[in-house]
Amino acid sequence: MYFKGINSYGDRGLVLDFGNETSKSISQEVNETFLNISNLNLQSLNIIPSFNKIVVIFENSKIRDQNKDKISMKMKDTNSQTNKKVTKAWEIPACYNEDFALDIKIIQKLNQITKEEVINLHSSVRYYTYYIGFMPGFPYLGDVPSQLITPRLATPRVKIPARSIGIAKNHTCIYPKVSPGGWNIIGQIPFDIFDLQSSYPSLFLPGDEVKFYSVSLSEFEKIRKYNFSLNELIKEYSS
Amino acid sequence: MNSIIITRAGTHSTIQDFGRFQYQHLGVSPSGAMDQRIITELQKIIPNHQNQFLEFAYVGPSIKVKEGSVKICVGGNCNMSIQKNNNSQLECQPYKSINLFEGDELIIHNTIDSVYGYIAFEHGLGLEPCLNSYSTDTKAGIGSINRPLNDEDIFHISKDVSSWDLISIPKPDLEKVTNFKVYPGPQLQYFSDNTLQSFISGVFTITNQSDRMGIRLKGESLISSKSHDILSEGILPGSIQVPSDGQPIVLMRDIPCTGGYPKIAILNEVDISRISQLPPETKITFDLQTIY
Repeated sequence: MYFKGINSYGDRGLVLDFGNETSKSISQEVNETFLNISNLNLQSLNIIPSFNKIVVIFENSKIRDQNKDKISMKMKDTNSQTNKKVTKAWEIPACYNEDFALDIKIIQKLNQITKEEVINLHSSVRYYTYYIGFMPGFPYLGDVPSQLITPRLATPRVKIPARSIGIAKNHTCIYPKVSPGGWNIIGQIPFDIFDLQSSYPSLFLPGDEVKFYSVSLSEFEKIRKYNFSLNELIKEYSS
Repeated sequence: MNSIIITRAGTHSTIQDFGRFQYQHLGVSPSGAMDQRIITELQKIIPNHQNQFLEFAYVGPSIKVKEGSVKICVGGNCNMSIQKNNNSQLECQPYKSINLFEGDELIIHNTIDSVYGYIAFEHGLGLEPCLNSYSTDTKAGIGSINRPLNDEDIFHISKDVSSWDLISIPKPDLEKVTNFKVYPGPQLQYFSDNTLQSFISGVFTITNQSDRMGIRLKGESLISSKSHDILSEGILPGSIQVPSDGQPIVLMRDIPCTGGYPKIAILNEVDISRISQLPPETKITFDLQTIY
């Protein structure tokens, strides 16, 4: 148990605190707790997990205070916690072609490795989805192999192409759509990962496992043309 | 069928409601009307608004009835008039329902000593919800209409006006507040007692770099004694975050879903609406509530 306690966040929010460290095992506890809290069907407006916190917001302080006890009881009652996993394992095609790998040279230079080594290392790891944030459907994945750890760009890029794969510190990510951002871009995936037409609009969910595999530009373009829906992507690329 | 056309979009006109909830864990911001007090008042005049309110800022939109007729009501503090089909001009007031007939044009000139105003339409604007809400987040491209409104946008309202009776309410008391009682933020302890004293005793000016995402303030620098870089965590509208330049930002309705700056304090819900109405150059102060 990493859970430390529940604090107030203003007059209508709560913060469930899991300490100040970050690790996969802390995140697993956060994401299991997120499911447990979601299953309580509280009168909450939003439940927001991150590396080591869960923020819960209510309409007002009265509802917040009523629901705080329910959360406290759930956290104490470890027997009733479902450790049921509802996550997916993904194998995601990634094209590391130089047209897409805008910042791969920064990573090569900093870590004194070749382009092929960056690609092999990045696609060698089964990443854990810490949480979804920053923008709709944006997964924080980790941890990257130590030889790939690279700080954010000193000057963020104004326009990162949609579907770009990035690395910052010990995390990797996918930009669901065009956005400003400071991650080092090393490739691109051939499909969209956030779809407003779907009632479950995000392809990735906290706790999912994601592994990339390298595809050629022609293979990338072939997949791109299919225009997969989220449901088709689940069938094609997850287990 | 009734239809209206936007003849002048104004600045920052978007469709909003009370907010989009249950999706922030997927990176979707709550959005919603900046001043929720006003749309709450408009509900009393146009109960069947279908949660499809038009929000405008500073310069209002002009809308013309293309076909049929519509019943609407404007909320906020603004100058406006109606150009009738027969070329006569009519005065009109906020918080009083308005019947508009084919060829009539409602012209909202500007908001007065405030920022945001709203229009409620009986039977809504014929829109479909997006992730259970009509709100627009233009930065994320999410909404029934996923962008600000443009000139020539047309809305079809299939149901006819229920009654021509004019309904009005007393102008709500939305007095201007410039002193805000705030609660301690999750990273209050990132700031020394001296810095907290500067926060409480200092005067902060609202800058023109303010929008639906956040209100940037200018004032005495609030430098953290620990760090301005925290591990990203969930954030709520009303939070006052302090990046490394020490100039606080009040996060508003289109917040990023998680943030990596320490939050010194947080406003209560009604004060988010109040602060949204303060134009650039307004000077504000904060009072920190210790017990809550």
